[in-house]
Amino acid sequence: MTGRRIRAIIFTVLALVVVLVWLMPFYWALSLSIRSKAEAFTVTGLAVPFVQYRPTLENWIDQLRVPETTKALVNSTIIAFTASFITLVIGTPAAYALARFTFRPRLVVILSGVLAAVAALLAVNFGVALPLALTGAAALFVLLALTLGRRFKRALGNEDLTMWFLSQRFLPPIATVVPFLLIMSQLRLIDTRLSLILVNVTFNLPFAIVIMRQAFIDLPIELEEAALVDGASNFQAFTQIALRLAAPAMAATLMIVLAFSWNEFLFALTLGTLKAKTIPVLMAGAVDTRGIQFWFVAVRTLLAIIPPTILALLAQRYIVRGLTFGAVKG
Amino acid sequence: MTRNSRLKNLFLAPAALWVLAFTVYPLLYSLRLAFYRVNIGQSDVFIGFENFARAFSDGNAINSAVVTLIFVGGGVIIQLSLGILFALLFNRELPFRGLLRTIMTLPLFATPIAVGFLFFTIFYEEGGLINGLLPFKVPWLSDPSWALFSVMLVDIWQWTPFVFLVTLAALQGIPNEYYEAASLETSNAMTQFRFITLPLLQPTIILVLVLRIAEAFKVFDIPFTLTAGGPGASTQVFSMFAYRTSRRFFDFGYGSALAYLLLVAVLIVVLFFFNRIRQTYQ
Repeated sequence: MTGRRIRAIIFTVLALVVVLVWLMPFYWALSLSIRSKAEAFTVTGLAVPFVQYRPTLENWIDQLRVPETTKALVNSTIIAFTASFITLVIGTPAAYALARFTFRPRLVVILSGVLAAVAALLAVNFGVALPLALTGAAALFVLLALTLGRRFKRALGNEDLTMWFLSQRFLPPIATVVPFLLIMSQLRLIDTRLSLILVNVTFNLPFAIVIMRQAFIDLPIELEEAALVDGASNFQAFTQIALRLAAPAMAATLMIVLAFSWNEFLFALTLGTLKAKTIPVLMAGAVDTRGIQFWFVAVRTLLAIIPPTILALLAQRYIVRGLTFGAVKG
Repeated sequence: MTRNSRLKNLFLAPAALWVLAFTVYPLLYSLRLAFYRVNIGQSDVFIGFENFARAFSDGNAINSAVVTLIFVGGGVIIQLSLGILFALLFNRELPFRGLLRTIMTLPLFATPIAVGFLFFTIFYEEGGLINGLLPFKVPWLSDPSWALFSVMLVDIWQWTPFVFLVTLAALQGIPNEYYEAASLETSNAMTQFRFITLPLLQPTIILVLVLRIAEAFKVFDIPFTLTAGGPGASTQVFSMFAYRTSRRFFDFGYGSALAYLLLVAVLIVVLFFFNRIRQTYQ
């Protein structure tokens, strides 16, 4: 009995040490942000406020007075909310369709489409006029789909479509940086919030679809079936029943997507240099002053970290599910 | 249920078109660029596989590939080991277990770019947190090997909680009856772990491994602020090298080829585990 007690105490202490080590960086940021400039380097060790120095809010006030910071906060907020909203509006119906209806696209038909599209792009690349290339591609697609499509019956299922969406998440973002940059500059969208909204929807859409599909699958189907029997349309079954039941999952998805959008850096750095500067880009811009203005860095760090961290806390019950794309139920 | 209606296509089409327009089309676009020499203001010249061949003889590209592999391999192994250990530790009666678990979720969504900065102040060699507590000075960011290790440490801080939470969820999903049944046969905790816990955890661990590897290959933000790729090019990960090639030197063709090589590396890892992942999602 005593042996078990000692073991229990040892494990509790170990767990506490782990948690304290993981909390340390947050504590350090807070401690730096409320230290006066003079004390940023002179106070050493654990830097306990009130004991080792007198805490002050002057860094926070200074930082929030800088128009650059407030503008970045506004940009980040607008981009994150708009992108997340669009993601859910487009993603939720797609997720519902994948959860409740049967799709049997034929592999050959899809491959014909891809082939025709690539042929069109190649043709344009080698100087064929766009309308001609498009007509040719359409003709090629119809021809292939009608001839080959009838012969090979191998059909894909909903899982394949879901995996197709899921596979986008594995894509290294760097692979689309250059094309996005060139496309956005052709569309004259460089340094606009719109371009970053488009980017964030693109990255988060597959996530939302996979997660929401799982959420719809987990709902009891009987309610929707009963509604259909009572004469409701498929659309009504979706809006009146499924959407309401899936509201908590939707809220959690929204929070996770908001955090992802808020944190996005690579594309924000590429596309939003001045007017559409987000918080992460603002922070990266301080590279020139790095190492000197700790107090300044600490406030910005916290400004960046606090919103997504609060979102993580709110969506806590869904985090495991979210980050494993629904594979593990937390 | 197999309902069929025109509605389903209407529901799926916007998402599918969005992905085609904003993911598939850009990918094809950059595949094209990878086969061209692109100079701003001049027309592109088709050069076949030259950009790809160049990557294999470019010392900088090889260096950043090695840096990335060390980062991914070392970081993911440590995250998995620590995460599983922590999950086992927290999967017992502990006071305030819920609160402790909640605290461990905090790093997950912390803005990586800010985390990089924060650890810059923590690793700072004069007046930083760690060297202030240690009796000796560690060259966290000025020594090439230590710098790479520091970048790994930050990733470990941020992502061990992910492994921990997922493993803990899987552990708690194992029915207690299994252990009760086993306790009739053996009381050895190690034996129970070896023959019950580990086999049941295996699918989860593989999933976490694949997700972590794929994510770690993309790393960009943390070295960007923590070390800016330095000292020298000791922490210049592959994404960063590809980015600099495209953005600083405007060598879009070569940059696209590099990005495609990274894509292929991730693809190989994912395809290797593809069937197991697919099963997990069915």
